[in-house]
Amino acid sequence: MLEIRNLTKRFGNVDAVRDVSISAPGGAFLVLLGPSGCGKTTLLRMLAGLELPSEGQIVFDGQTVSDGDRNWAVDPAKRNSGLVFQSYALWPHMSVRGNVDWPLKVMKMPKAARAERVDEVLKLLDIGQLAERYPNEISGGQQQRVAIARTIAPKPSVLLFDEPLSNLDAKLRVEMRTELMRLHRATGATTVYVTHDQIEAMTMATHVAVMNHGRVQQFGSPSDLVNHPKTAFVATFVGTPPNNMVPVVKNGSGYKVGGRHMPLTPPADDCMAMYRAEAMSLSESEGETTLAMELVETSAIAGRTMVTGLRDGLRLTAIVDAAPEAGIGDTIQFCLPPRPDSWFGPDGERIG
Amino acid sequence: MADTAMSGQGRRVFFRQGTVLKTVVLALLIAMIVLPLLRTVLFTLQPDTIRAWSDVLTGRLSTNLFYKPLGNTLLIGVVVSTGCVLLGGFLAWLVVMTNVPFRKTIGVMATLPFMIPSFAAALAWGSLFRNDRVGGQVGWLQGMGLDIPDWLAWGIVPTLIVLTLHYFSLAFTIIAAALATVNSDLVEAAQIAGARGRRILMGIVLPVTTPALVAAGSLCFAGAVSNFATPALLGLPVRMQTLSTRLFGMIEVGQVGRGYVIGIMLVLISGAFLWAGNRVVSGRRSYTTITGKGGRAKRFDLRRARWPLFGVAMIILLSSTVVPVIVLTASSLAPSSANLFSDWTLHYWMGRSDPSFAQGIPGIAHNEDIVRALTITLGLGLAVSFSGMFIGLLASYTTARFREGWMSAAITQISFLPLLVPGIAFGAAYIAYLGAPIGPFPALYGTFALLVIAATAYLLPFSVQTGRAVIQQVGGELEESARITGASFAHRLAAITVPLAIRGLAAGGILIFVKIIRDLSLVVLLFTPTMPVLSVVAYRYASEGFGQFANAITVVILFISIAATLIASRLQTKSQPWLQN
Ligand SMILES: Nc1ncnc2c1ncn2[C@@H]1O[C@H](COP(=O)(O)OP(=O)(O)O)[C@@H](O)[C@H]1O
Ligand SMILES: [Mg+2]
Repeated sequence: MLEIRNLTKRFGNVDAVRDVSISAPGGAFLVLLGPSGCGKTTLLRMLAGLELPSEGQIVFDGQTVSDGDRNWAVDPAKRNSGLVFQSYALWPHMSVRGNVDWPLKVMKMPKAARAERVDEVLKLLDIGQLAERYPNEISGGQQQRVAIARTIAPKPSVLLFDEPLSNLDAKLRVEMRTELMRLHRATGATTVYVTHDQIEAMTMATHVAVMNHGRVQQFGSPSDLVNHPKTAFVATFVGTPPNNMVPVVKNGSGYKVGGRHMPLTPPADDCMAMYRAEAMSLSESEGETTLAMELVETSAIAGRTMVTGLRDGLRLTAIVDAAPEAGIGDTIQFCLPPRPDSWFGPDGERIG
Repeated sequence: MADTAMSGQGRRVFFRQGTVLKTVVLALLIAMIVLPLLRTVLFTLQPDTIRAWSDVLTGRLSTNLFYKPLGNTLLIGVVVSTGCVLLGGFLAWLVVMTNVPFRKTIGVMATLPFMIPSFAAALAWGSLFRNDRVGGQVGWLQGMGLDIPDWLAWGIVPTLIVLTLHYFSLAFTIIAAALATVNSDLVEAAQIAGARGRRILMGIVLPVTTPALVAAGSLCFAGAVSNFATPALLGLPVRMQTLSTRLFGMIEVGQVGRGYVIGIMLVLISGAFLWAGNRVVSGRRSYTTITGKGGRAKRFDLRRARWPLFGVAMIILLSSTVVPVIVLTASSLAPSSANLFSDWTLHYWMGRSDPSFAQGIPGIAHNEDIVRALTITLGLGLAVSFSGMFIGLLASYTTARFREGWMSAAITQISFLPLLVPGIAFGAAYIAYLGAPIGPFPALYGTFALLVIAATAYLLPFSVQTGRAVIQQVGGELEESARITGASFAHRLAAITVPLAIRGLAAGGILIFVKIIRDLSLVVLLFTPTMPVLSVVAYRYASEGFGQFANAITVVILFISIAATLIASRLQTKSQPWLQN
């Protein structure tokens, strides 16, 4: 059980993390998802005990480990947690074996047990053959594995990852994703995983906290986020392809949707209508709910076609069965479904 | 169609690309660097000079000629390099890793001592600590009534102190740059593993910074053993000899063969240490930091020790920068260094000749010799900064553009060779090389050209390094994109490369200028009365007992050096990256 209560962190007058409250059961795979600079690393470092919260508490398995209100925190080494740094932080003067071994040595584990444990984790991460190499003699992906091996060797009950895959190339990233999930099942440790990549979040997480500007925008399961986004930010940040957000303004007695009058009854005068890409279609001719757009991108996805149009800064994406005949740069008609999937107010909150 | 368009446009390539350029550069470097050194060695192997080897190494005089100076030299090397690594490492740690107050000020001040010529510090030491052992004026402290013992006034102890206070700033620069790359993640990872203070220091921080410590130590060692000015000013009056003062003495009295042998031994010793240091550093575990994206540096909180440590740092820094400058300035104004701060007069600066004052020597503004030396020195600085940057750029361009082949490797290796050669030995080599006529060419001894060529060659490692940095800044792709447009080499250089590189070139040129105008060890042997340079004139005045003139000249050199250095560091955008947050 991992519990975060009203956690806030200030650096001078910057609020890096604001009033975050989440809890996840033991063994969960919790992903902190958000754009760069939203406070993910800061939150993770507080979990690791490297930063003291300004306010709020962190509780591992019923034990408070950080309490910002009392300016008190358990030492990073005594929280039974392990952190995989974004930079890997491998000690360059130690071999791969040395890197994995040193934390165990500091824990005063007997020598024989240590050797056994090191071999075990090196094998688990499939880097046994690199044991005698130095960090600058192995590739980025291998360094990543060493960093993970080093972190799991002492068997922490909470595993923390800071954007572990962001330095890897695309193919390796997909492989490592699978590997990390296998590792999660194998160790059973509660895992907190920071990323800005929503695909990683959606594929790996049991629980996701979407963050923006230091706040948690929504906390829930991946399917929750896709099916019931609570804010416009979540709706556009999560999902492949992202949902379409079309501004609606009152104009006389009717409403302008994306600049065109359409027969719609929004719950508020100024708001945004969200349409899922798969609910959109293309139309040959102008209709009641069509928007003319310049075709800027098409790409084939799993037997269907993703079509993107652009006009006056409004970007729409539709998933359709057949590729349009028009070429890039031509004007095509995007057809909105009669009712949007959700409504969001001007402040980004969901209103219907 | 395509064929007709292409016909007549192709060109056969007779040489592999760049062969001509590479040959020219290589020939130039061999003529400037390899031949002088080779010529020196060959000179000592002639039938009538080969005896010099046995005289120096095994003969009856060898103890005095070689082994005693060698002992002093090694003592200086070991003590000074240890002291420099400790002082420089301490300051670098304060600046880079802690929250000591005024970090940036400390960082800037710690780079200054290396800008001040080492003879300035030695002269300042004399003005403060001289006692009456060798006659002449006594220093300020003795004048105040303190009884300065001989060991503090002369010989090995003051030499060690002055050299340490000079070279520690070199160690600081290297260690600070290395510490700045030690990601604070490395330390935090150790903290999470449960390690504490000492364990983190011994297990992580020290091993990771060892290469920098070794590099700093070996560079300080090489610098200290080849330094000439300090042991000459503080040691020679009491007959303390090092290899460099011995070399100087031998050549001064015309025992050229023995001088060259001592010079060769000096090169071998400082070269061996640099080589050994380099071996340690470039081993299998060369610790370029292993990282994708770095973490934010977290500073070590010194708590209550902040101000005390700041005080310690300031004592070191003030005594190596501000105190010498104040002492030199005061002493250039005071008729007696025993009374540094009274009866000030401008005579040493702008007085007319007066038989009752300083044996009739006029102040430096009216002293023809000194004014001439100033002109020559400035001219030399300018000439060398141009020729140095030109050759440096040419060599680094050649090796960057045509990386393959043994010739490029040779160019790189040779251009860094002078690093292994102490200035005074390099000067000696140039006397052997150009001191006598070669074929149709006249002897260059005593000419401006000799000074320019020798200084350019001596500073090539530095100018090639600067050239390389500039070229990296300009980037090969920019140049290649210009090539595709069909512009000629000269046109490309003028239109693309030079405008992009001008700041870096100017900064590099200015730093070469500074290095040469405050150099003593290279020019002290090339000096002739017809071609005087400031530093040697100052040295002569000091050794003849006219400290005020020496100090006034040194203040002039200091002033020019500091002004030029400030200009250069304004031009250099990233001169001290470790100071940035
Ligand atoms: N040690 C620090 N001092 C000052 N500001 C910081 C510090 N660490 C993080 N911040 C600020 O807090 C915000 C969140 O940073 P971070 O947690 O690193 O974001 P993320 O990991 O999501 O990219 C940023 O605006 C960053 O500039
Ligand atoms: Mg981050």
